[in-house]
Amino acid sequence: MRMEKDYGKWVSASRRSLWRTVGLFFILMGPGIITSNVDNDAGGITTYSLAGAQFGLKLIWSLIPIMIALIVIQEMCARMGVVTGKGLSGLIREKFGAKITFYLVVGMFLTNMGNVISEFAGAAAGMEVFGVNKFISVPLSAFLVWWMVVKGTYKSVEKAFLIACVFYLSYIVTGIIVKPDWEKVVEHFLNPQLSLNPSEMTMVIGLVGTTIAPWMQFYLQASIVEKGIKVDEYKFARFDVVLGSVIVHIVAFFIILVCAETLFKNGIQIETAKDAALSLKPLAGKYCTYLFAFGLVNASLFAASILPLSTTYLICEALGWEAGIDKKFVEAPQFYGFYSLMIFLGAGIILYPNLPLIPIMYFSQVINGMVLPIVLIFMLLLINDKKLMMQYTNGPIFNTIAWVTSIVIIGFTLFLFIGMI
Amino acid sequence: MNQNLKDFYFFSDFLNRKVHHPSGQTVGRISDLVAERAEPYPMIIGLVVRPRRRKKSRRPDHRRFYLPWEKVARIEPQITLSEEELPALKTSLPEKDIILLQEEVMDKQIVDTFGAKVVRVNDLHFLRIDSHLRLIHVDVGFRGLMRRVGLERVMDRALQWLFSYDLPNQFISWKYVQLLSGSDLLQLSVSQKRLSHLHPADLADIIEDLSGRERSAIFHALDTETAAEALEEIDPKIQKALIETIPVEKASDIVEEMSPSDAADLLADLPEERAEEILGGMEQEKAEDLRELLVHPDETAGGLMTTAYLSLAPGVTVETAMARLRAEAPNLDILDYIYVVDEEEVLQGVVSIRDLLTAQSQQTLTEIQAPRVVSVKLEEDQNEVVEAFAKYGFRAIPVVDEGNRLKGVIGFRSVLEVLAPDAG
Repeated sequence: MRMEKDYGKWVSASRRSLWRTVGLFFILMGPGIITSNVDNDAGGITTYSLAGAQFGLKLIWSLIPIMIALIVIQEMCARMGVVTGKGLSGLIREKFGAKITFYLVVGMFLTNMGNVISEFAGAAAGMEVFGVNKFISVPLSAFLVWWMVVKGTYKSVEKAFLIACVFYLSYIVTGIIVKPDWEKVVEHFLNPQLSLNPSEMTMVIGLVGTTIAPWMQFYLQASIVEKGIKVDEYKFARFDVVLGSVIVHIVAFFIILVCAETLFKNGIQIETAKDAALSLKPLAGKYCTYLFAFGLVNASLFAASILPLSTTYLICEALGWEAGIDKKFVEAPQFYGFYSLMIFLGAGIILYPNLPLIPIMYFSQVINGMVLPIVLIFMLLLINDKKLMMQYTNGPIFNTIAWVTSIVIIGFTLFLFIGMI
Repeated sequence: MNQNLKDFYFFSDFLNRKVHHPSGQTVGRISDLVAERAEPYPMIIGLVVRPRRRKKSRRPDHRRFYLPWEKVARIEPQITLSEEELPALKTSLPEKDIILLQEEVMDKQIVDTFGAKVVRVNDLHFLRIDSHLRLIHVDVGFRGLMRRVGLERVMDRALQWLFSYDLPNQFISWKYVQLLSGSDLLQLSVSQKRLSHLHPADLADIIEDLSGRERSAIFHALDTETAAEALEEIDPKIQKALIETIPVEKASDIVEEMSPSDAADLLADLPEERAEEILGGMEQEKAEDLRELLVHPDETAGGLMTTAYLSLAPGVTVETAMARLRAEAPNLDILDYIYVVDEEEVLQGVVSIRDLLTAQSQQTLTEIQAPRVVSVKLEEDQNEVVEAFAKYGFRAIPVVDEGNRLKGVIGFRSVLEVLAPDAG
C-alpha cells in the first residue's frame, strides 16, 4: 500500500507527460482487462474450441465485429460507473422500481449460478488432463476461491486477478507451437465468408452469446466504482476497457487457430474443451495439451472467483442489503450467505454422480437469453438519462452505434433462445 | 373521505392505482405522492397523476399533472375525485417545501441515522389522521420488498407453511431518516439535527458507503465542526476527493478544525497548489504549525505528531496549569499530559493529569514532574515509535529535535492508525 502511494506521488510529480500518462494508466488499469479476460471462461474456451474444430478458420473474421460490440457496450458501463459512482443494479432499481428489479435479480442469480457450475466443471475437466480426480480438484478450487475473496482485500484480489490474466498467454504460446499458415489466416480476415448454413449461423450466435454476457456489465461497473475512478481520469478507464476487449479477442483468436490448425485439419470431432486438449497430444505434442488444459483451469478458476462475487454484489445493491468483503458476517449476512451458497452449491453439484450437466447449462443459457435484452435496454435508457449522466450521455452517433449493436445482439440472443426452446 | 378506512397505508397501496371521476370514468394512474415537509412527520398534500394514454399523445410524461389532496373525495373502495371537470382540478405543483415521494424517496438509498447505516427504501408507511395521511415510517425490510413485487401473500403462506413464521416489518421512523437527494440536504437545519445523531466515526463510514455525488452532497450539508470530525475518520483517498469538491474557503475552515496531525496527513496527499491555497485561507498560527508538520515524512515520528498539546514553563503552579488546561482543552489533541519546557523550548519534564489532580495547588510543575522523560526523535521510524508505546504504556509520547527541543506529541490514536490502517 505504501509503495503504491509513493508511486502515485512519483507519477503526479513527474514532469514528462508521456511517463505521467503511462504511470496513471498502470494505477487505474484493472477493471476492464479483468472483466474481459473473465469472459474467456470455461464456456468461452469450449465455444472457441468447437468453432475452430468444426469450421476451421472460416468464422475467425467474426471476432472483429464481436470485439467492436463488446467495446461499445463495456464503454457505456465504465462511463456510467465513473459518472454516477453507483453500480448498475442500483441504478436500475432507482430508475425502474422494485418489481422488475426483483425479477431481473432472480434471473441473474439463476443464469450466473449455471455459469458457476460450468466453471467448476471446467476446472475439474482441466485438472483431469493432469490426472487429478475431480473429488480432489473441485473442493480444493472451491475453497481456494472462497478463501481468496473472504480473506483478501480489493487490492490484493485485483492483483491476483491481473496475474491470472497473464496466464492466458498459454494459449498464445500453444498457437505459436502449432505453426499455423499465417498467410491463410490473414486471408480469412480479409475475405470474410458466411454461408447461411444453420450450423454456422448457430456457431456465430454462440460466439456472440459467450462474449457478451449480462454479468459482465454489472461486474465492470461495480469494479470501476470500487476503484473510485474520477471523471477526469475516465480516459484511462476507457483505454483499459478497449485494451481488455482487444486482449480477450486475441486469446480467442489463438484458441480457434489452434483447434483449426490441428483438429479441423485432421477431421477430429470434439464436444468439450477437455476433448480439445486431449486431442492435441498426438497432433501437436504433450506440451500443447498441458498448456491448453492449464489455460482452461486458470480461466475456470478465475471466472469461478469473480462470478459469485459479482452476482452477490449486484443482488445486495439492488435489494438494499449491506455488501462488501470488508464487512463482518453479522453486518452483511445476506452477502456472505449468497456468496457461499453460490460457491458451495456450484462445486457440490459437480461432485454429484451422473450429473445432468447439459440440461443445467441449457436452462442457464435460456435465462441468459431472457435477461440480456432487458439489461442492454435498461443500460441504453440509463446512459441517455440527462439527470443521471449530465453532459456524459451518449452523443447521437455513438447512440446510434450503441442501439444498433444492442439490437443486433438482442436479435442474436433471441434467435438462439428460440432455437433452444 | 370516510367509511371503511384503514388506519395505516403503504405507498405501494397508491402507486399505479387508478384515479376515477365521480362518474366512474378513469382519469389516469397515480405516479407519485407529494408530501409537505413538516416536522416530525410530513403530510400528504397531493397526487401526481399520469393521465390515461390517448392515441394522439406520444409523450405522456410531459402531461402528468398535480391534484391537491382536497380534491380526492374518497380512497376506498376506489380513489375518486370530488369534481367532474378535470381542468378545474389541475394545478401546478405548490411552491411550498415539498417532497416527491416516488422520485426522491422510493427505491433510493437513505441514511438511517438511528442505526447509523445506509439502507434502501422498499416502501413507505402512512398513518391516517381523519382524512389526511402522514408519512411516519420508511419500510426497509424484505416484507416491504415482497409487497412491492406483489408476492407478499405468497411469501406469507410459504413461510407459515414451512416454518410457522411471520416475517415482521422493518420500519425506520421518519424522524431518523436522512434523504440523500438534493432538496432534503439543502434543508440545512433539518439535516443537521438528524446527522448530529451520529458519531463522527459512523458518519465517516456512511460517507464512505455512498456514491461520489451523494458523498459530496452530504458533506456539503455538514457544519464545519462535524465535517472536520467526520473527515478525520474517513479513508484518505475519499478525504482527498471530498476536499477537492468544496470551495477553498470552506476547505480552509474545515482543515483548521481538524486535529493537526490528521490535517497534515490530508494536506500532504493534496496537490501542492491546492494545499497552499487551503493553508493560505487559515489562521496564521495554525497554518504555520501545519507547514512545520508537513515537512516531516509520513513514516517518521515527525509525520505522526500533532502540535495541539499544552506546554508550560517549569515555574508554573499546579493551579495555573489546571486553569490553562481547562481553557485550552477544546482545541487540544493531547489532554493526558502537560509538557514542561524552558524558554528555548527544551523539554524538561512531563506532568500527567493524574499528577496534576493529586498535587497541592501551590506546587510548581518542576516539583511534581516525572524525573525521566521518554521522548522520540523527529526522524525516528514509525515502527520504533510503536515499540516505545508498547514498552512504556504511555498514552502520548513527545517528539524532540537534536537539541532536545519539543516539536510535537504523538497521541495513541496515531499509533493505532499505523498498527491497523484498515480497521474502522
